[in-house]
Amino acid sequence: MKKRSSLKIFFSVVKALLLREIQTRFGSQKLGYLWAVVEPMATIIVFAIIKELLHPNAMPGIDYPVFLASGFVAYFMFKNIVVRSMSSFSANKGLFVYKQVKPFDTIISRALLEFFLTVIIVILFLFIGWYLGFDVVPKNPLMVIVAYIWFAIFGLSLGILFAVLGFFFQNFSKIINLVFLPLFFISALFYTLDALPPIVRDILLLNPIVHFEEMIHANYFDGLSKEYYNYTYMALWTVMPMFLGLWLYRKTERKIIMS
Amino acid sequence: MIVLDNVTKFFKTKKGKKYILKNVSMTIPEGVNVGILGVNGAGKSTFLRILGGIDFPNSGRVISNKTFSWPLGLAGGFQGSMTGKQNVRFVARIFGKSEEEIKEIIEFVKDFSELGDYFDMPIKTYSSGMKSRLNFGLSLAFDFDYILIDETLSVGDSRFKKKSKEALMKKIEKSNVLMVSHSMSDLKNICDVGIVLNNGKISYFDDINDAINVYKEINEA
Repeated sequence: MKKRSSLKIFFSVVKALLLREIQTRFGSQKLGYLWAVVEPMATIIVFAIIKELLHPNAMPGIDYPVFLASGFVAYFMFKNIVVRSMSSFSANKGLFVYKQVKPFDTIISRALLEFFLTVIIVILFLFIGWYLGFDVVPKNPLMVIVAYIWFAIFGLSLGILFAVLGFFFQNFSKIINLVFLPLFFISALFYTLDALPPIVRDILLLNPIVHFEEMIHANYFDGLSKEYYNYTYMALWTVMPMFLGLWLYRKTERKIIMS
Repeated sequence: MIVLDNVTKFFKTKKGKKYILKNVSMTIPEGVNVGILGVNGAGKSTFLRILGGIDFPNSGRVISNKTFSWPLGLAGGFQGSMTGKQNVRFVARIFGKSEEEIKEIIEFVKDFSELGDYFDMPIKTYSSGMKSRLNFGLSLAFDFDYILIDETLSVGDSRFKKKSKEALMKKIEKSNVLMVSHSMSDLKNICDVGIVLNNGKISYFDDINDAINVYKEINEA
C-alpha cells in the first residue's frame, strides 16, 4: 500500500469520521434530526411567550423571537461543540485500533458536524422567520457571521482542553455539564446587558459567552449597544485554552490511544 | 524490515513494574512471516500493538517504513450501532480509498465474510465469530506489507477456517504476517521465523520450529 502524507491521512480520517458522526449523532432514528431543530425552537417560543407576558414593551423596534433565535442558536452550537468534543475520546476509543485515527481528529470532526448543523438550522430559521413576517435580515451580516465562526472556534478551543482533562479526570466532565445549567441564564441570551444595573453587568462580563452574545445581538439589530463586548477578552479566552489544550494533548496523545 | 532500537515496555502493577520488553534491540528481516510466542500475560498482544503503531514503548524506538494492518483480534474497531457495511465503508475511507474502490471493497468483504443479511445489520447483533469474519475479510481488502494477527484464525466453523487460511496463504505471497497464536500447527504452516517473549526478554529464531521448542520448554517449566 502506498504511503500517504500525514496531512492527506488527516483529511481522509476527518472526512470518514464526519460521515460516520452524521449517521450516529442522533442515534439510529431519523427523528433525531428533528430534535436538533425542535429544541432551540421550543426554547425560543417559551421565552417569547414569557417576555410577551412580563415585558411586552421592552426592546421596541426589535422582533424579539429573532433576537432570541440569533443568540440561542449560537449558544446551542457553542455548548454542543464543547460537550460533544469532551466525550469524543471515550466515544471513539474503539477506532484507535486504526493508527490513522488520532484522538484529535475525532474532536475536529465532531466540532465540524456541530458547525454544519448550525448552518442548516440558521438557514431554516431565517426561512421560517421570514415566512412568519419577522424582520430577519441582520444589520451587519458579515460581523454576525464572524461572531458565529469565532464562537465556534472558542467552543473548539475549550473542547480540546476539556476533552483531555475529562479523559484523565472523570469528574471533570460532570462538573462542566453542571456549569452549563446556570450559564444559560447568565449569558445575555434573552436580555441585553444595557438593560441591567452596572454592577450586575460588570459581573456578567466576566463570562466570555456574554461577549459573544452581545457581539451577535449588537450586529444583528439596530439600536443595541456595542460598547460591552471586548475583542481582547474574547481573543484571550479563545487562544489560551487552545494552546493549553494542544500542549496537554501533545503530551498525552499516546496515553489516550493506548488506554 | 523492522528495527527495534533499545525498546523498553512495562506496565505498572501493584507489585512494581512488569516488563514486556526490557532494553530490546533486534531486527526482523525483510520478507519473513513471524510467529510470536509466549505464555499468557507475556505481552504478545502488546508487542503486536507496538509493531502496529497503536501502542508505544516507554523508551526506545521501533523503526520501519512498512505498512501494517490493525491487529486482527476478536475485538475489532467496530461501532456497535452501525452496520457491517457502514463500518467497512468507514475503514475504507480512512485508508483514503475513492468511492469507486470503496464499492469494490464492500462487495469483496460482503462476499468473503458470508454474513448475508447481517451485513446490513448493526454490529451489536453480531456474534463474536461474525465480527472476526468481518474483520478478517476487511483486512484482506487492503494490501499491507504486514498483516498483524492476534489469534483470529481460530474462529469460525471448519469450512470457513479453511477458506480463511487459503485466503491468507494467497495474501502472504505478497505480504507478510506477524502472528500471535497458541496453535502450533498454524504457526508451523504459516510462519518462517519465531519470536519468544519471556519476562521482558525476547529471543529471535530463524526457524519457527526452534521457537516452538523453546516455548514448550518455558511452558512446561
